[in-house]
Amino acid sequence: MDMRTSIDVEERERELVITRILDAPRDVVFRAWTEPDRVARWWGPQGFVTTYCDMDIRPGGAFRVCMRSPEGAEHWKQGIYREIVVPERLAFTFAWEDAEGKPGHQTLVTVTLADRGGRTELTLHQAVFETVAARDDHRRGWTSTLQRFAEYLAGNR
Amino acid sequence: MALPDRLSTTFSALADPTRRAILARLVSGEASVTELAAPFQMSLPAVSKHLKVLERAGLVARSREAQWRRCRLEGGPLKDAADWRDHYRRFWEQSLDRLEDYLDELQAKEKSDGHEDEH
Repeated sequence: MDMRTSIDVEERERELVITRILDAPRDVVFRAWTEPDRVARWWGPQGFVTTYCDMDIRPGGAFRVCMRSPEGAEHWKQGIYREIVVPERLAFTFAWEDAEGKPGHQTLVTVTLADRGGRTELTLHQAVFETVAARDDHRRGWTSTLQRFAEYLAGNR
Repeated sequence: MALPDRLSTTFSALADPTRRAILARLVSGEASVTELAAPFQMSLPAVSKHLKVLERAGLVARSREAQWRRCRLEGGPLKDAADWRDHYRRFWEQSLDRLEDYLDELQAKEKSDGHEDEH
């Protein structure tokens, strides 16, 4: 039995991983993630406008950003920077706020930038657990529960 | 855009191995509290406490008949929990599309200016 494969399958259930090659050097990409006026230019879905962007870029520093949808609805996101390694790595917690400004479920986002001959390979990793330690404590667990539920839901449709 | 607030409740309810085991048991059908408690070295009140957490999170429902309080699984919150990745994937993919456009714009600007843009 291929243990590696079965572990990877479990990881995929509770984590989101996105990889992209960007046609710009690492330092330019890093600045696009860490300078508020640059972040405001792209962070959010198509058609959304950043109306507030406060970022305290240091480990333990907070960010709070508001984006306005094309329909005019405001969506606030917030988090704490956990790790900043120029120009290769950025880790932060991430949560959407509800209507009262209360943060919802926290996730941990890690952005890694690798130099690819002047271009940049960006890997974005997002996990449902707030901290790396908490994530590692839950190596198996409810992931397989979710798989069973998916089967349950499929069977009850 | 914001995830339903109950997602937090779902995840914290799922963060306990006993509660996950209870849910996994309920996948195969309804069960009484006694039946649910059987595999655990745990008192009935302790199991009831876990069930209350699951009920509050909307993951488990109990039938009304006082004599025969069967527990059953409620799928809705779990579907939301399983959907969290799709939600964020859409959010990030669209953001990264915009980041690509923005970086192109920056590179073009630097080329035409003939120098690194000022910090």
